[in-house]
Amino acid sequence: MEITNVAEVVDECIQKNGNTLIPVLQDIQSHYNYLPEEIFDEVSQKMNIPLIDVYGVATFYKSFSLTPKGKHIITVCMGTACHVRGGQRIAERIARELEIEPGETTSDMNFTLETVNCLGCCAIGPIIMIDGEYYGQMTIQKAISLLNEYKAKLKEEEADDSSKS
Amino acid sequence: MQNNGKIKITINNQSYDVENKLTILHATQQNDIFIPHLCFHPELSPYGGCRLCIVEVDGVKGYPTACTTQVKDGMTIRTHSKILQEMRTEILQLILSEHPSACLICDEAEECSDYQGTIRKVGFTTGCRWCPKDKDCELQKVVEYLKIDEIEFPVYYRNLPVEKKDPFFDRDYNLCIYCGRCVRICHEHRKSSIISLNNRGRYSTIGPAFNQSHLDANCEFCGACVSVCPTGTLSEKTKKWSGIPEKYNSSICSLCGLNCDIQILTKENKVIGTLPLGDPHLTGGELCVKGRFCLIELVNNPDRILEPQYQFPEGLGFITWEEAFLKASDKLKKADGNKVAVYLSPNLTLEEIVAAKQFAQQVIKTINITSSVLTNNLIPYISLAEKSISIEKIEKSESIISLFLNGNYNYAPVTLAIKRAAEKGIPYLQIGWINDTTSRFASHHLTPETGKEKEFVKEIVESFEKGKEVSPEISEVMKLFKDSSSTIILGPTILDLTEAKEILRNIEKIIKLTGSKLFVLNPYGNLPGLLSSVDLKPHQDILDKISKGKIDSLYLIGDSPFKKRPNVNFIIHQSPFPPSEKLKPDLILPTATWSEISGTYVTLTDKRKKLKAVVKTSEKVLSNSAIFAKLAKKLGKQELKFNKKELSKLIPKKLTIKLPEFNSKPKKNIVQIKTRAFPYTLIQEKNLYTYMGMYLNQLIEGLREIEPEETLIINPIDASKFDIQNGDNVMLKSHKISKKYPVVLRKTISPGFIRLITSNKTFEFETNPCPVKIRRVNV
Repeated sequence: MEITNVAEVVDECIQKNGNTLIPVLQDIQSHYNYLPEEIFDEVSQKMNIPLIDVYGVATFYKSFSLTPKGKHIITVCMGTACHVRGGQRIAERIARELEIEPGETTSDMNFTLETVNCLGCCAIGPIIMIDGEYYGQMTIQKAISLLNEYKAKLKEEEADDSSKS
Repeated sequence: MQNNGKIKITINNQSYDVENKLTILHATQQNDIFIPHLCFHPELSPYGGCRLCIVEVDGVKGYPTACTTQVKDGMTIRTHSKILQEMRTEILQLILSEHPSACLICDEAEECSDYQGTIRKVGFTTGCRWCPKDKDCELQKVVEYLKIDEIEFPVYYRNLPVEKKDPFFDRDYNLCIYCGRCVRICHEHRKSSIISLNNRGRYSTIGPAFNQSHLDANCEFCGACVSVCPTGTLSEKTKKWSGIPEKYNSSICSLCGLNCDIQILTKENKVIGTLPLGDPHLTGGELCVKGRFCLIELVNNPDRILEPQYQFPEGLGFITWEEAFLKASDKLKKADGNKVAVYLSPNLTLEEIVAAKQFAQQVIKTINITSSVLTNNLIPYISLAEKSISIEKIEKSESIISLFLNGNYNYAPVTLAIKRAAEKGIPYLQIGWINDTTSRFASHHLTPETGKEKEFVKEIVESFEKGKEVSPEISEVMKLFKDSSSTIILGPTILDLTEAKEILRNIEKIIKLTGSKLFVLNPYGNLPGLLSSVDLKPHQDILDKISKGKIDSLYLIGDSPFKKRPNVNFIIHQSPFPPSEKLKPDLILPTATWSEISGTYVTLTDKRKKLKAVVKTSEKVLSNSAIFAKLAKKLGKQELKFNKKELSKLIPKKLTIKLPEFNSKPKKNIVQIKTRAFPYTLIQEKNLYTYMGMYLNQLIEGLREIEPEETLIINPIDASKFDIQNGDNVMLKSHKISKKYPVVLRKTISPGFIRLITSNKTFEFETNPCPVKIRRVNV
């Protein structure tokens, strides 16, 4: 994927958030889906923050990613409550289904699989989160069917795109 | 609360009166109570990272760290209870579980270090005996204090590769304890912000962004991080295996006109390093790369000449001093004084200069005394310097304007003053094409249009004189001049510009019109001393005389301006360093130099600085004064004295700079402006940084990497347009000339500009700045 309009995007995000680094980075990430290397010099110069400080913040927080992410981000909870109810097995099964390891992205850039240590709603565990939406009381079967739903959706979109063009 | 702002606290059942707003650690240190610590640095913000300074405070839950907790009136503190020591032991064990520590807890440690009995074929540090910081390590000391003899936790070795590619210091992050001192000193004290803690948790690393090298990240190589590292993680390449210094001697750096105070570390009659003043483990950041890393490489340089040599018909051969004096006096006896030219280096001490002057005037009887640095552009530049303010006043000015300053690898005290001032809110404006360490602090960065540098300053003058309408850019400058009393900082890059003289004349006018103060950066160590104690002839005059055959002998004292042998009969080369290959001097006399002789240096504001002799030279190397004394005696002038006492009598009480009149015919300068066909601007720079006639970057490999000669320095943004990588060859074309050069990419140059440093006497390209175009050469 080519990174375009770096200057404009960075400008826009700074205008919106003022000189606060984390919200600016968050907005840039939501635009590009990750933080491309090209934006760092731009952010550093325009916000007058040393490059290393921008980089330090971006690498410190787990919610920032310096590598491209898939269209859908699947987050499996590995907190204690989810873990004892089988979160680990769900993560493993999804990983096998997508043929990637946790932390990786599928080669077609459709899915990224991540594990986190708690999503904060242990009562309905085991939980997975897809694109910010929570799915509780997960089982392996449920997870697979969810995954298939998303795959089907992706196929539809693809068909739409090709018919349009 | 007590009087005079002091409060009462109790530490370990004893009461103390301490100042308010201290931290507990400061309070204990003031009262000689030792609390172990690793991440604390008195001048940096408290960090609380190592957790070793935990204490117990009545009424406070848990165990706060002494370095981050402020004292309060009536506070009761315990620093060494049993539980605290147990916890410290455990914390230290945790630190050690990720730090190679076999030697720290080994029973055989002492004997092993005495006999070094075990030879291990390992390339990296696995124990103290193979660590550059051994016996000088703060971690080692804390381990000794807490008497750790085993580590209960599983040991983890990070197995990171040792980073050795950057010049001047190596980094072995396997030894790092993440105390963050290097990061904090880089941010807070030096204000460079090159390194930081990246990533998180056990994956944390320290270094520049995107795993860049320090060089690519614009590191200034000030060495502050190396000084403050409590472990062997950061180590100087030259000092790595020298061990603990025997003595710290205060002296000065002689590599530029600022003459910074330094301490010279010596061991066994050898210089093993240099540091800024202060506690050797805490000091750092006040020097530039030259004072911190280059001096030691100069004095210990393997190229130094250590015996007199003579050019026999069959080639160069070693001779004794007795023979050398005989040969020199034979020649000088016969010579006509006015046909001898004496060259002096601006790196000589005041005593050496007056000795040379006495020798030249009364023994050789010549008036042809010069220095190769005294070029026609330098004369108006230094004449401006007469009005230069002292360095302390920079910070006190209301606004600062820097003109053609390149402060990345030079003039650290000045750039630090600018950065500190700008941080306090004093407006700072940078004019020039260099993107140096101060650029981030500039409220405006202006770049005069190519070929219109003169017009740029002229416009300011005219706007003041006639109220002429100016461009919005210049009105920014005008505003600063009008609203505040500013200080102009003038960098020596200006000397190389085609229109240098006109620009300097206009700057002089600006100063008169605005009442601004001026700080002129002098790249030559003791130039003020040289100019104020000897009536020098302009270098061009002597060159003219040589070409007309009016000079038949040259006596080069630390100055080596000739790449080829000029048309003269006899050359004496008297210097610590060898002459250039094609000079072929008849007589080579090795001299003692910095750290081996004592003497005086003078700054532009007539501050006398003392250079100290801290090591002895070998018997076959003499000081300049000793050589003059012996030669004078041989030439029948034994009444002349060249000892220290007599020489200091010859030094004038007040030193005022005397500049020779130079009557060069006004030349019509041709400048070129940037066009679409030639869209880049080439800045040619003469290699300014010399020591005793030697170019520093030719002597010192690390400096050569930082500021390469005959190499184009291009901004990565421009390079990416042509798909140019580091080390590629590029064809550079101007209207008249085209030439191929290798390339390095650096962010220190602004986009659209190209820097080319040369040690040739004349520039390759027709004008400076010169509009050019570039093309990658396909291999």
